[in-house]
Amino acid sequence: MAQTPPPASPAPDGAPQGAPPPAVPFERVLTAAMGQPGSHELDHYLRRGGYVGAHKALTSMTPEEVIKVVTDSKLRGRGGAGFPAGIKWSGTRGNPAPRYLVVNADESEPGTYGNRYAMDTDPHMLLEGMIICSFAVGINLAYIYIRGENLHGYETLELAVRQARERGYLGRGLFGTDFNLEIYVHRGAGAYVCGEETALMESLEGKRAQPRTRPPHPFQVGGGLFGRPTVVNNVETLMCVPHIIVRGAEWFAAIGSPNCPGPKVYCVSGNVNRPGIYEAPMGLLLSELIFGDEYAQGVPGGRAVKAVSPGALASPLISGGELEVKLDVDAVRAPPYRTQLGAGGIIVYDDSVCMVELLLRAEQFFAHESCGKCVPCREGTHWMVDVLRRITAGRGREKDLDLLNNVAGNMSGLPFHQRTLCALADFAAGPMMSAIGKFREDFDYHIREQACPQQRQLAHA
Amino acid sequence: MPLSQAVKDLVVNEYIPRYPTKRAALVMALWAAQNEQGWLSSETFEEIGELLDLDATDVNAVASFYTMFHRRPIGRQLIEVCDNPPCLVNNAHETMQRLCDRLGLESAAGHGGGTTADGEYTVRFAECLAACDMAPAVQVNYRYYGPVRPDDVERFLANMESFSIETPIPPVPGQSGPPAGAAATPAGMVKEG
Ligand SMILES: Cc1cc2nc3c(=O)[nH]c(=O)nc-3n(C[C@H](O)[C@H](O)[C@H](O)COP(=O)(O)O)c2cc1C
Ligand code: SF4
Ligand code: FES
Repeated sequence: MAQTPPPASPAPDGAPQGAPPPAVPFERVLTAAMGQPGSHELDHYLRRGGYVGAHKALTSMTPEEVIKVVTDSKLRGRGGAGFPAGIKWSGTRGNPAPRYLVVNADESEPGTYGNRYAMDTDPHMLLEGMIICSFAVGINLAYIYIRGENLHGYETLELAVRQARERGYLGRGLFGTDFNLEIYVHRGAGAYVCGEETALMESLEGKRAQPRTRPPHPFQVGGGLFGRPTVVNNVETLMCVPHIIVRGAEWFAAIGSPNCPGPKVYCVSGNVNRPGIYEAPMGLLLSELIFGDEYAQGVPGGRAVKAVSPGALASPLISGGELEVKLDVDAVRAPPYRTQLGAGGIIVYDDSVCMVELLLRAEQFFAHESCGKCVPCREGTHWMVDVLRRITAGRGREKDLDLLNNVAGNMSGLPFHQRTLCALADFAAGPMMSAIGKFREDFDYHIREQACPQQRQLAHA
Repeated sequence: MPLSQAVKDLVVNEYIPRYPTKRAALVMALWAAQNEQGWLSSETFEEIGELLDLDATDVNAVASFYTMFHRRPIGRQLIEVCDNPPCLVNNAHETMQRLCDRLGLESAAGHGGGTTADGEYTVRFAECLAACDMAPAVQVNYRYYGPVRPDDVERFLANMESFSIETPIPPVPGQSGPPAGAAATPAGMVKEG
């Protein structure tokens, strides 16, 4: 993180008013230190301008001013739902203390891995974002909930917290003010549903991770962690915050899509030549991300893209003919795409992948991860697995497709909380319906020929 | 085998003070116990329950929700191969097949796993490990490796470290596996997964 923008990109504050601002070249801020040895160390972070944003917020701004800057930046949550961060913070601040902050570092959805890199590379950037958020909302105790499998991330964060505490960036009287903050890192123990914010809080409280009934919502008394008003934010959401404080709301709001701006860490996986994480302006074209030289560089063997999950496994599929979509929260929701950006995990499938086999494996995932609290989700996911297994085993029937559509239809539909307690049911249903809608020929072939069009078994028997 | 005093001290002095309720320290406590013992026995549930003022059945009910807590001894090296779609389309099943072949474990139609007779390895599939760019991604005792392609399996077993994707970080007491005393698994008794 640079303290001041490089000469090539004039500070938006100083930009002439009136005339449209000159196009500012995009600068990576979230992944700038990737690949630099020792970037996770406090001193390395300080050399790059670390904790300047927290210092600025705590010593020269009021909490209300911080919330206003974050609201004006139009930062939207990077964990999946795209909720405006500033609104979440002010809503929580409006409810009585004690309040808590919980960082959602559960990252378990097939196709997402950006938080893992972020925490490995720049754990202090996350801590700094947490300090600023806690100051703004009036929070003195915060937790990072990290999935159990990411032991290395846990160790990195523990080290960072220890260093920050030793050097006075955490604890009592931060930056000479009377503001106190403790941060603890908490390990999960395996279960995708823990990423859902209310399940995550149950898990943190030492219970089985089953989502809660809402209302009360997490930001309200009775709905948050230990029953207190709570902010739950994704790792990447919070890592944007120090940059917003240092460079200003206008800088952030001017990057990428106007309604959902800022830098975004896209994760590309599946059948691509160069899988990896790519930080780009929110709203990057999907085709550019898949084929661009700076990005994933196309599909191995020059095969065609058959399908893409643009928001990891839980997002409705789009076809290889629909790659000219902007990757921002709203653009992917619009017709004809009608999908989700989720946490920005783009999975690419080439034309050797049979969508029936793929869906079977996907629904096995959701059936395995359903917490079992709601009937449509618990039963529906297993139903879909059974029917898909029948089809892939060569015993499919014509009416199975209606059955699948029906089951999926009963699991989903907005608003989700009227049918189920959390969105996992929608996550299972969306890909199913989109697959039948867009790749019907694979299903028809399986049922008609009682064989796989690709002659390739993907899922478990 | 009872929990060591070190684990109990860690729970009481480190974990419990982190939270407003004692119960909230449960998952961290279970981790510390499993890392010492290799798995979680009913006796361990009793001991943890005592530390946190919880019923042993309550402790069990929570522990059983989470896939990473073992109710039986497993191999000293837990090898997990992710086979969620991004890894799947990068031949995760072939990687599993080769691993099983090499270790003398059964593996049929993509299903794999079990524990080797000498108690050294337990092999199983995992759901997405958040390392999809390293497909097929593998963890051994929750350490990250990848990509481990089918043709890499031989080399991987001979020298796992060359496949590591982690930067070295000092381990954290009570949390970092592999299990210290690595519970000697009675040969051939376990089949998990
Ligand atoms: C089944 C399920 C899994 C989820 N997993 C995650 C996750 O791993 N990480 C995450 O940040 N949000 C996840 N979410 C979204 C969270 O519930 C929540 O919206 C998010 O953490 C809020 O943070 P944000 O506003 O900063 O995005 C998940 C939601 C559901 C329904
Ligand atoms: S929708 Fe599924 S995962 Fe979510 S609460 Fe209901 S049963 Fe549990
Ligand atoms: S799909 Fe294998 S690590 Fe994510």
